[in-house]
Amino acid sequence: MSLDAYTAYRTWAAEEISHPPRVSVVIPAYNEEERIIPTIGAIATHMSARGEPWELIVADDGSTDTTVSLLQTMNLANMRVLVAERNGGKGSAVRRGVLAARGEIVLFADADQSTPIEQFDHLLNRITHEGYDIVIGSRHAAGASVANKSMVRKMLSGGLRFVVRTLGGLTITDTQCGFKLFTAPAARSLFTRQIIDGFSFDLEVLYLANKTQMRVAEVPVEWIDAPGSTVRPLKVTLQFLQELIRVRLNDLRGRYAHHRSGAGIPAQTIR
Amino acid sequence: MQINGERHDNGHRIAVTGRFDAHETTEFRGYIEDLLAQGSRRIRIDLSKVNFIDSSALAALLHASRAAANAGVEFVLADLSDPVRVIFELTALDQAFTIEGAATSGPVGQLA
Repeated sequence: MSLDAYTAYRTWAAEEISHPPRVSVVIPAYNEEERIIPTIGAIATHMSARGEPWELIVADDGSTDTTVSLLQTMNLANMRVLVAERNGGKGSAVRRGVLAARGEIVLFADADQSTPIEQFDHLLNRITHEGYDIVIGSRHAAGASVANKSMVRKMLSGGLRFVVRTLGGLTITDTQCGFKLFTAPAARSLFTRQIIDGFSFDLEVLYLANKTQMRVAEVPVEWIDAPGSTVRPLKVTLQFLQELIRVRLNDLRGRYAHHRSGAGIPAQTIR
Repeated sequence: MQINGERHDNGHRIAVTGRFDAHETTEFRGYIEDLLAQGSRRIRIDLSKVNFIDSSALAALLHASRAAANAGVEFVLADLSDPVRVIFELTALDQAFTIEGAATSGPVGQLA
């Protein structure tokens, strides 16, 4: 067994980094008491082993279970927990986390490790070597590996891809994968204009990126449907369609012309 | 996930490979129950090739450990991979098992 990754993790866990972080990892969390600690463990081990300064931001979304108290007791030197006053939706939590990030690169990753953190390096290469502004994990790009996804979810995903192409004008095959990488300027530009607080914020962010001609790369990832998902496919699909129309209307009304200063729902930062 | 086992003296050595999560716990529990039914005296679980373990799998390990103890069988975890070792420490479960090949190193980042 290699001691390097473990030793690097121990250092990261105990000592605050002395340089600005190269990477900020943002995890949105709503009632994740069952899943958040293993996810943090896997992410912290991999990211620490890379040898670059990095920070972890957990953006709580008004959890009503023990998620926040669990995080408070972890006492990791380079982890910040942003505790929201109330539940506002995944989009609001990710926005809060991204706008608090100090890294040159910002990774948004779901709390369930559906996309294993080991794939971060692969995505990062597309930014550092090819100059992309955004690199998104994709379950539908050629070469992706998807495990344990139900037939209902597969069919709905296919339908949504068609709608996104037709109504949204996006050629991206997977707007919703919870594993996306941004350069800091791109993240700030997009998340200060992003309005949608719900789970369709990804779509809105990519719509804005397309509108402002940012360079977006889609990279196939390994994806494992995490047990315990709270997503209800049919309800989510209908909501997604509504919000796609809302994005178009927002654009027509000029609501994306200006950057916003605040991150939304007030939140307290806990180290 | 893959589970591979072999007999060793009076017991069994089990190697788990890949992602160990709730999709895999039923198979794992069945595997351990079979070993206990066969009269194994020592079960050693090699976790060196596990890259992620979730709370359901942690619970399955605890359940297996207790079932083994009730049957008078020695139950040992061995050679934890780095991420698994960190997850065990963060959940304080490193104190709940007999672990070979990865000494615990104190309370950094561990739940209070």
